[in-house]
Amino acid sequence: MSVPDYMQCAEDHQTLLVVVQPVGIVSEENFFRIYKRISSVSQISVRDSQRALYIRYRHHYPPENSEWGDFQTHRKVVGLITITDCFSAKDWPQIFEKFHVQKEIYGSTLYDSRLFVFGLQGEIAEQPRTDVAFYPSYEDCATVEKRIEDFVESLFIVLESKRLDRATDKSGDKIPLLCVPFEKKDFVGLDTDRRSKWEGSLQWWRGKGAVHWVSDFLKLSGTDFAALEGLCSASVIYHYPGGTGGKAGARRFPGSALPAEAANRHRPGALTTNGINADTSTEIGRAKNCLSPEDIIEKYKEAISYYSKYKNAGVIELEACVKAVRVLAIQKRSMEASEFLQNAVYINLRQLSEEEKIQRYSILSELYELIGFHRKSAFFKRVAAMQCVAPSISEPGWRACYKLLLETLPGYSLSLDPQDFNKGTHRGWAAVQMRLLHELVYASRRMGNPALSVRHLSFLLQTMLDFLSDQEKKDVTQSLENYTSKCPGTMELLTLPDGLTLPPVPFTKLPIVRRVKLLDLPASLRPQKMKSSLGPSVSAKSPFIYSPIIAHSRGEERSKKIDFQWVQGDVCEVQLMVYNPMPFELRVENMGLLTSGVEFESLPAALSLPAESGLYPVTLVGVPQTTGTITVSGYHTTVFGVFSDCLLDSLPGIKTSGSTVEVIPALPRLQISTSLPRSAHSLQPSSGDEISTNVSVQLYNGETQQLVVRLENIGMEPLEKLEVTSKILTTKEKLYGDFLSWKLEDTLAQFPLQPGKVATFTISIKVKLDFSCQENLLQDLSDDGISVSGFPLCSPFRQVVRPRVESKPVNAAEGGRPGEPCHVKTLEAVLNFKYSGGPGHVEGYYRNLALGLHVEVEPSVFFTRVSTLPATSTRQCHLLLDVFNATEHELSVGARSDEELILHAGECQRMAIQVDKFNFESFPESPADKGQFANSKHLEEERQEARGLEINSKLDIHWTIISFSQTRGASVEGLLNQLVLEHLQLAPLLWDVLVDGQPCDCQAAACRVGDPVRLEVRLTNRSPRSVGPFALSVVPFQDHQNGVHSYDLRHAVSFVGSGTFYLDKVQPSGQAACLGALLFLYTGDFFLHIRFHEDGPSKELPPSWFCLPSVHVRALEAQA
Amino acid sequence: MAVCVAVIAKENYPLYIRSIPTENELKFHYMVHTSLDVVDEKISAMGKALVDQRELYLGLLYPTEDYKVYGYVTNSKVKFVMVVDSSNTALRDNEIRSMFRKLHNSYTDVMCNPFYNPGDRIQSRAFDGMVTSMMIQVC
Repeated sequence: MSVPDYMQCAEDHQTLLVVVQPVGIVSEENFFRIYKRISSVSQISVRDSQRALYIRYRHHYPPENSEWGDFQTHRKVVGLITITDCFSAKDWPQIFEKFHVQKEIYGSTLYDSRLFVFGLQGEIAEQPRTDVAFYPSYEDCATVEKRIEDFVESLFIVLESKRLDRATDKSGDKIPLLCVPFEKKDFVGLDTDRRSKWEGSLQWWRGKGAVHWVSDFLKLSGTDFAALEGLCSASVIYHYPGGTGGKAGARRFPGSALPAEAANRHRPGALTTNGINADTSTEIGRAKNCLSPEDIIEKYKEAISYYSKYKNAGVIELEACVKAVRVLAIQKRSMEASEFLQNAVYINLRQLSEEEKIQRYSILSELYELIGFHRKSAFFKRVAAMQCVAPSISEPGWRACYKLLLETLPGYSLSLDPQDFNKGTHRGWAAVQMRLLHELVYASRRMGNPALSVRHLSFLLQTMLDFLSDQEKKDVTQSLENYTSKCPGTMELLTLPDGLTLPPVPFTKLPIVRRVKLLDLPASLRPQKMKSSLGPSVSAKSPFIYSPIIAHSRGEERSKKIDFQWVQGDVCEVQLMVYNPMPFELRVENMGLLTSGVEFESLPAALSLPAESGLYPVTLVGVPQTTGTITVSGYHTTVFGVFSDCLLDSLPGIKTSGSTVEVIPALPRLQISTSLPRSAHSLQPSSGDEISTNVSVQLYNGETQQLVVRLENIGMEPLEKLEVTSKILTTKEKLYGDFLSWKLEDTLAQFPLQPGKVATFTISIKVKLDFSCQENLLQDLSDDGISVSGFPLCSPFRQVVRPRVESKPVNAAEGGRPGEPCHVKTLEAVLNFKYSGGPGHVEGYYRNLALGLHVEVEPSVFFTRVSTLPATSTRQCHLLLDVFNATEHELSVGARSDEELILHAGECQRMAIQVDKFNFESFPESPADKGQFANSKHLEEERQEARGLEINSKLDIHWTIISFSQTRGASVEGLLNQLVLEHLQLAPLLWDVLVDGQPCDCQAAACRVGDPVRLEVRLTNRSPRSVGPFALSVVPFQDHQNGVHSYDLRHAVSFVGSGTFYLDKVQPSGQAACLGALLFLYTGDFFLHIRFHEDGPSKELPPSWFCLPSVHVRALEAQA
Repeated sequence: MAVCVAVIAKENYPLYIRSIPTENELKFHYMVHTSLDVVDEKISAMGKALVDQRELYLGLLYPTEDYKVYGYVTNSKVKFVMVVDSSNTALRDNEIRSMFRKLHNSYTDVMCNPFYNPGDRIQSRAFDGMVTSMMIQVC
């Protein structure tokens, strides 16, 4: 006996062993169909007896195992059933012959046999035979069970008769000694004396044993039990020839007494609902001679220790161990059971075949499982799995190996669902688990199921990433790539043939995503809601301005929803912060977004992350195709050929600022290009708006440039609306005039702008900054002696080239000196293009495109100093400007298309412009009326500005860089101070001197000698107050043109009447005049200097108010 | 003398495992892993009987052909498992006990470290050194 039956359990001791075998060619399917039906007859109550017979069927049983049948009868084959196919009568003899051969094999122990013939009909089948049954087909064999019952009964009868024989037969001496097979060989040397001692017992055993004592054993009555004791002792003596004498009685119990009890528990029918222990204890209590549960184990141990002394009894020992474990498992005594098992592991049988090894390990694993040692069970299962594919096996059973390996997973607390690993760090026996996964991968590969191995390998990589060494990471990914080249990893559920499903393994750690952020559209494409439609929608939500309850619920909403919108048809971006945990470059392909809610066209990206990279931003893009609310639920990747769908919800430790965004209907897209070069120079961050394009231009102060803006609709929707606004960013520079001006009408005429169409739009840029120098320069120069109220200059264009200024020009361009006005000033402005169209416009959205304009203003000319000189006419004056050329070019400066003044680079010259005085009072004073409490200073500034504008338009100073031949304007606004203004202003007291009724201002009035000349001084009061009275005296003098004025003209001029005029008080806007007459006695040129008397109220008034024209009278020869 | 020392968390995953013949580490992993079955069984058996008795030493868990596996469990159900060469007969139960006590003390020190996160792998150098001393110490 060499093949252990691991399935054996204690109750098998009470069964009869019947072997069922096919003869000839019988298909497996048919055989097992019949076998199943036969097996169903496992328990039979024999007629006329309360005894139940248990039958154990085997379709495979090595005949040599029967050898131990004498020792334990349940090992003996007592019945044989053969099944055969036979379709023609002529085959019959042959088949019958085979049946006999089969019988011979088990012959020695066989009590009876049967042959089931299928398919044969006719004569032979008609013959009634007890040992042969004929059936027409496998379907038509209703009486099989009945036949079996008969067969079993016949077995019983044989046994029973044998028992009766033994019981009556007194000649016990003749009975041969029972011995185990290996004893037969060395029977010599046995103590025959001893043997005689236990002959009595033996005889007893014989008697009972012939009837198959185990079946007897079921009903342990007091009397029966006494008989069994003897029986047990006999068996113990048998396997212990050394002799243990009187002690033997109890000894054999483990082998026999136990089964009864165990049987009760193992048989489902014998189990009571009360539970096992209670049942057995009561039963044991009743059967007083039965052993207690503790004793059973004791006896088992004893028995096994006896068995273990014989090498040849290994199988018996092993089986006993197995049986004992099964008993212990029921008793829930795991520790002891494990000891038995431990022992069983060490039992060395003869060289086992591989298959037997597998069987043995599997059984060990099963038994460990039975006693709750899951880890140990898993260990042996794994060993069994490895045995399946041992190198010594010619045809490795990878499938079986894989199946066994799968069964070990729970033992290693490993599940194949990656979801279970998402909760925090993985905690387990990483080294052991990794090994198992590797084995699974290998087994599945060898099984020829690459999809499985890819799945397992991805699982390994995903879940064990933290435990893999760098080298292992490389190896695993390498092999994964190899596998996926044949069979790419998918996100589908893999189902194994036996029903197990393998969930997909998304690579959430390759790369690891730390943060997901939905990005707003770039500022230029960001949709904005028109304000008008926003109002009602907000108020409709709640009648309250503020309610904490609503605010709370809204806050929750907001936590998921982001407060910007995406636009249908526009590329939208999601930024992921990822990092690569691998020690090598990670190539992620086909990385895209997973979304729901809106039809979304994801545009996958491929990226390559450097080894062990830090956080690395990745932008995934896509285009929403419809409108609605879109939710970004995750992303998909292809790494190492494995497709993964990673859902954000299941990612641990991810930061997200919401994943839901509203998609609004499509809007047109505007692209702007300009005639100016783009600049890298970005506007100051304080500007607030995000500017898509920046253009820059360099202009000289006073220059004007046209900016042509090319508007192209690059979207899919027609551009229907366009609004342009500009915003000049705060600048320190004071700007005169309109910086930017445009006419939108021409452009709008081309609207709506269809996709792909272009419109142009022109903006003129005019830079007019302060042309003055720093004030200190002005003050610096104001001391050079030109009196503001000085005498009239005869030649207004007299150039005053002073040595001071001469010293300047060379260095001027370098601008090193403080107050040197050479530095470049910048002006910045933002042009906002608000446009809309298409369905988005219907919904009330528009877009805003901002164009940044950066203007660098280079200094052109400066007016370093300004002063006035009264002109010959009181209504005019000369404005003197010191013009400084700050450019590097030669330029000409002129005013009112008068004479041009050529200035070399860095040169400073004075130019004088004769101007009519201004009557500023004629300007509307409305601002003053409106803001009574307005800042007077501000008011004054405003007024001054208005004046400046007026003056400037009158002056029309322009300059030209000669080489460019382009005329640019200049302005004096900035440098007009109060003093100059006062002089430029027409005095509120308007004095007119009339000579002979002719107004006399600059030209000489002619008169005849001897004729009295009427002189009238007229005063028009434009000031808001009444002035006067004034006393005026007329002083005539002669200018000799050599600097000598002779005032002593008493002989030449005489007054007719008083030489002093008197003007009465003049009311506002009133007029007064005083008359006098002069008589010129000689010819000549005379000047009249009208002077105010020093006394009176005139002192309160500014002197410039009393600027009377000097009268030039030419006295001519009296006509004859 | 010990060939493998392991500290197992309450939830039966290793906090620390180290063995001397490093080339066959996996074998010891398996050995310690399977020994947990016995530890569990012993704890559950002890749970009923020896609640009050502060016997932390579990004794021999199981012998294999070449090694003996001993166990020790703290009151917080942290297990220490030590694998000892069977050939080393000089090693008595008392010595094993004292080794476990030393291990326990050292483990307590590790836990006292405010920077140690309970449940993480033990990476303390002091603990490592102590284990090394236990492994090298040849009787």
